Amino acid sequence: MNDDKKICKEVMSHICDSLGEDLDSPKCIAIKNHLDECPDCSNYFKSVEKTIDFYKKYNVELPEEAHNRLLDVLGLKED
Amino acid sequence: MNEEELIKTAKSGDKKAMTVLVKNYEKTVYNFAFKICRDPERAENIMQETFLSMIKSLHQFDGKSKLSTWLYRIVANHCLMEARKKKHEFVSIDDDENGLYDSSYHAGWEAMPVNIIENKELKEILDEAIQKLSPEYRVVFLLRDVEGFSTEETGEMTELSVPAVKSRLHRARAFLRNEINKAFEK
Repeated sequence: MNDDKKICKEVMSHICDSLGEDLDSPKCIAIKNHLDECPDCSNYFKSVEKTIDFYKKYNVELPEEAHNRLLDVLGLKED
Repeated sequence: MNEEELIKTAKSGDKKAMTVLVKNYEKTVYNFAFKICRDPERAENIMQETFLSMIKSLHQFDGKSKLSTWLYRIVANHCLMEARKKKHEFVSIDDDENGLYDSSYHAGWEAMPVNIIENKELKEILDEAIQKLSPEYRVVFLLRDVEGFSTEETGEMTELSVPAVKSRLHRARAFLRNEINKAFEK
């Protein structure tokens, strides 16, 4: 593995490690600078963010029948 | 009645107060259970088990944490117990640190529309990817990244140290990202 690729692997690891954490440490600033110059890592960063966003937005509704069965199981009633 | 009063009243055996508590949290509990097991029937069973546990143990709830946090912990425990019983085969991501990071990037990332709920294809990709992840990693990813709990709170709910939460989280993120990227390439 050449040096550039090694740096990119470290950056990718750091992105996965620290997303959502304090991004003002010297290491994070160096990572941000690298992202500005490296399209591979920049795309990787965006795709990890999108992965999280996809799962955040993937919600389901509670079916009414499931709600009714829940109250039955618990021995509770609607008002 | 605020939540503290509701809990106090429910603890004394008041069914109306208990019903209100259940109704306040049933959607959250069902949604989180679904996100872990990706199956409506199993999510409903876990929701029922969770509220049965809540009713049985509410007298032990000391109010030091939020009720929602307490419920998330119960859901996570039920899901982990169920997964251990079923003994599914999951992809191991405990080793091979280098293999986790794949710089390939498919144009599908740009093409996916924002409205996920109406995108059946993307939902299938997301379901398939997360089902390959072992529940121990899945729960950490969902609590921290999807539900927005802090690393410390996630650790408390899963009884893991902060470094263990961080380790599982970054592996889970990398794994899911790669699985989705691979699916876009197909």
